[in-house]
Amino acid sequence: MGNGSGPGSLALAATNLNAVRETMDVNLEISRILNTGLDTETLSICVRLCEQGINPEALSSVIKELRKTTEALQAPENMTSYLETP
Amino acid sequence: MARLVPSWTRLDKQQERDVRELIRRVSGLQDEADPNFQLALNFAWSNFRFHRFLDVNSHKVEKTIEGIYEKFIIHSDLSKAASWKKLTEEFLNSSLPSIKEIKTDAHYSILSLLLCLSDSPSNSNYVETPREKEVEKKDDFDWGKYLMEGEEIDLGPNVDTPNWSEDSEEEDAQQPLSREDSGIQVDRTPLEEQDQNRNLGPRVSWKDEPDGRSWLEQHVVHQYWTARPSRIPHSLHLHSNLAAVWDQHLYSSDPLYVPDDRVFVTETQVIRETLWLLSGVKKLFIFQLIDGKVTVRNNIIVTHLTHNCLRSVLEQIAAYGQVVFRLQEFIDEVMGHSSESPLPGSGSIPKKSAEAPFRTYQAFMWALYKYFISFKKELTEIEKCIINNDTTITLAIVVDKLSPRLAQLKVLHKVFSTGVAEVPPDTRNVVRASHLLNTLYKAILEYDNVGEASEQTVSLLFSLWVETVRPYLQTVDEWIVHGHLWDSAREFIIQRNKNVPVNHRDFWYATYTLYSVSEKTENEEKMNDNASASSGSDQGPSSRQHTMVSFLKPVLKQIIMAGKSMQLLKNLRCAESTACQVAARDADRKSLYTLFLESVQSRLRRGEDSTPQVLTDQQATKENLIKMQSIAERHLELDDIHDPLLAINFARLYLEQSDFHEKFSGGDICVDRSSESVTCQTFELTLRSCLYPHIDKQYLDCCGNLMQTLKKDYRLVEYLQAMRNFFLMEGGDTMYDFYTSIFDKIREKETWQNVSFLNVQLQEAVGQRYPEDSSRLSISFENVDTAKKKLPVHTLDGLTLSYKVPWPVDIVISLECQKIYNQVFLLLLQIKWAKYSLDVLLFGELANTAEKPHLKESLLSEQDTVAQFGSQKEPVGQQIHRMFLLRVKLMHFVNSLHNYIMTRILHSTGLEFQHQVEEAKDLDQLIKIHYRYLSTIHDRCLLREKVSFVKEAIMKVLNLALMFAEGWQAGLGAWQMESIEKMESDFKNCHMFLVTILNKAVCRGSFPHLESLALSLMAGMEQS
Repeated sequence: MGNGSGPGSLALAATNLNAVRETMDVNLEISRILNTGLDTETLSICVRLCEQGINPEALSSVIKELRKTTEALQAPENMTSYLETP
Repeated sequence: MARLVPSWTRLDKQQERDVRELIRRVSGLQDEADPNFQLALNFAWSNFRFHRFLDVNSHKVEKTIEGIYEKFIIHSDLSKAASWKKLTEEFLNSSLPSIKEIKTDAHYSILSLLLCLSDSPSNSNYVETPREKEVEKKDDFDWGKYLMEGEEIDLGPNVDTPNWSEDSEEEDAQQPLSREDSGIQVDRTPLEEQDQNRNLGPRVSWKDEPDGRSWLEQHVVHQYWTARPSRIPHSLHLHSNLAAVWDQHLYSSDPLYVPDDRVFVTETQVIRETLWLLSGVKKLFIFQLIDGKVTVRNNIIVTHLTHNCLRSVLEQIAAYGQVVFRLQEFIDEVMGHSSESPLPGSGSIPKKSAEAPFRTYQAFMWALYKYFISFKKELTEIEKCIINNDTTITLAIVVDKLSPRLAQLKVLHKVFSTGVAEVPPDTRNVVRASHLLNTLYKAILEYDNVGEASEQTVSLLFSLWVETVRPYLQTVDEWIVHGHLWDSAREFIIQRNKNVPVNHRDFWYATYTLYSVSEKTENEEKMNDNASASSGSDQGPSSRQHTMVSFLKPVLKQIIMAGKSMQLLKNLRCAESTACQVAARDADRKSLYTLFLESVQSRLRRGEDSTPQVLTDQQATKENLIKMQSIAERHLELDDIHDPLLAINFARLYLEQSDFHEKFSGGDICVDRSSESVTCQTFELTLRSCLYPHIDKQYLDCCGNLMQTLKKDYRLVEYLQAMRNFFLMEGGDTMYDFYTSIFDKIREKETWQNVSFLNVQLQEAVGQRYPEDSSRLSISFENVDTAKKKLPVHTLDGLTLSYKVPWPVDIVISLECQKIYNQVFLLLLQIKWAKYSLDVLLFGELANTAEKPHLKESLLSEQDTVAQFGSQKEPVGQQIHRMFLLRVKLMHFVNSLHNYIMTRILHSTGLEFQHQVEEAKDLDQLIKIHYRYLSTIHDRCLLREKVSFVKEAIMKVLNLALMFAEGWQAGLGAWQMESIEKMESDFKNCHMFLVTILNKAVCRGSFPHLESLALSLMAGMEQS
């Protein structure tokens, strides 16, 4: 890992990348403390969106709504399968 | 709802992509076309763009963070609180992916998002993960040691060349790193990996036996299939770490790149799994069998190839594995032990068909099976090489080595899928079997046309075909040698109709059904074989060209004839109970299939030592080609042409002609015919010379035998003669006795229509000379319509002669034939009657009636009648004379007609027929000859509709003759001059008409046989 044996600019970019990765790791930890239920990929998408100026509350409401709807969609299926088994 | 994406800048595109990805991740909807997905997308966008929330307030966020910290403290979750404080601060003071500054709105916005999403943080368990390990990892490397390595060379106890195997890696890890001899590349294994590896190892303590453990690690394959992410120690040479390098590149170029879990395997493992896959093993690690489809496991990686590269190579192999699997499945299915037992995870449960597969499929399976055995042998050889570890074997080498086999697999699969797999499941066996054979046959022809380029393929397909065709040939053999069509699975193109017994008169026509399968529409047409067999298979319309099993087509007629003949023959023999000796004779007989194989072998090895292989043949062809080329070149040089290409083509063109050598080289080179290999477009020739002659021979044998039996034992010729004797009145004296008795009755105006009278007359006449036929012959009389009956010629209509023809001769002399015979019989009877009526007239009779009044007049001289006669004396003489003349003319006419029909037509045609019967090769031909004979005499007796006007004229004359005879007998008194004149003129008209018509016909040359009749009638004309 981490063989920074490229030219100077590349090394610079690499350190920058590392910093960003650090940040993301911290971010993930915060997310875990808060029990948000976001995984790494989703979190990185959210970060990108926030950076681009999407309102965080709007984003959070969308995510919550989607989660709710998905659960609601899956629930009837489970229900029916539950009904069929006995 | 309108799409809420106004402009498509790059950022917007990125955003759009992110939103989609977010929805995919959160909702789990993978399909973008899903209406739910679109709904979610629209919902998201509308929320993002038209929300009612305020912008992020950093103070508010800070306050909330503070609040949460306090909350953790209150919950006495001190560690969590500490982490929380530390992390948030750290986060706010670090830079974001695209924003360098700290504590920006973006930071707060992200935090705010997380806060909004937070779900009772105090209730969740949280342990902070140490994140600093990566940084520490970097410092792990002991540069001092690495740089000091050269100094310690003497001290190291184990400084031999770096070993690539597992055990010594482990030792090496403890030792100072060693360089390769070249000193350029370093081969080392990082310590962490070593540790990790050790952890994965068995938990058993090996402290006391370190040697045993290393031995085991060396000899037992690492359990790569347990799918635990593990790293196998390997060289750190740059070339063997391409995957890692590439991964690194991805990692460094994309900050959010998350490396997947990958299972590292070695190339040897990949090769071995490849070999196993190709040899039909179903449960593998690298290749997975899901729902009958072979796929490559996604997370497999070797260290020296990138993931995609390996995957693309393996996917190709998987495709072949799929082919192997499919063919294997077919083999299992046909063999009956479908793979229910061994592997629960294989996921495929082949449906067991209710009935056993028919023999053609079995044979095809057997051919495939044999092929796979040799294929597996080859695979095993390669695997042995790998195990022995004595030669370099890479995946590329293996694939290259197997490439001819793989090409063959491709061909096999093509044939299999068109010939077997694509056939709809409810197709009948006959269609399946013939479709398979046709597919193979066509494939052979197709590749055969390519010539040398596909000799291997052709020889493979040929061997397959030879195997597959075995049941068909055995069926044919059984049929044409033993006479029963044994085909329990109903796969042969000809099938026995069960409801027709052999000793039935319809046997010959209705017993077998020929199924012809149309290639294009897959429709099957049924046609009774009398249509195909008697009319010849060459008459079929062009749409039927690819019907039925093509290879049998040229000999199909022979097969049908031979088979039917044989069955008939067997039944005849059975009746005579001489079957046992046939069975004994059969013991040393070679079957058709063996004969075929022998011929093929001898043909392939012609001119060779003893190797029947195509390969040597091919060499011979090449040698020949070179030889030929030089000859051709020499000849071309004679004409001052120097064109090697032309010479090659020239040589190739004449390669097939064995007499090329003599022609072009003046006979000083020995003739080598070995060039006739299976390839080079001689496949059909091969069939022609190896298969067809045997069938032909058998055909000639049994048909000849049948003809002999029919003629000798069943007196076919005698029956035909009997038909001619009675129906065509060749047995003149017999029939004369018969018909004169009837004619006499009619003349005396007694009733003659009585059936018993007719039969008694017939029996009396026949019984004297042909006692055995008298029981078979009978005559009946049925009243036909009375309107016609008024004319005396038609008095005889309704007389029907019938002859009971015993089986099996009634196949030839059918009831239809008898009908035609009867028509001729009736015509003859009418002519005979006219002739007889005229013949029996006595000149005296008329003279007497004429002279009686004359005498009376002279002797008694009385009464008015006398006076009447007296006054008419002169005309009476004239009248008598004219009647004499008319009678002679009529007699001439009737006699000419009689002669013409009896001699010119019936006799000569009969002779021809007899000759043809002698020559007839099979029963079908005989039947055809008989029919042709009948239709000829039917034609020539002018019974055809087309020439009915001629017949009518003749009938008119015959009628005249009969009326004349009647009048003659009634005496002169009944006659008036006018009626005589009318008769004369009628006769003259008819005569004229006939002569003109016949002359015309003769001049046109269309009816040469009419010539004699026309001539004799004309002679009659001129005299008058």
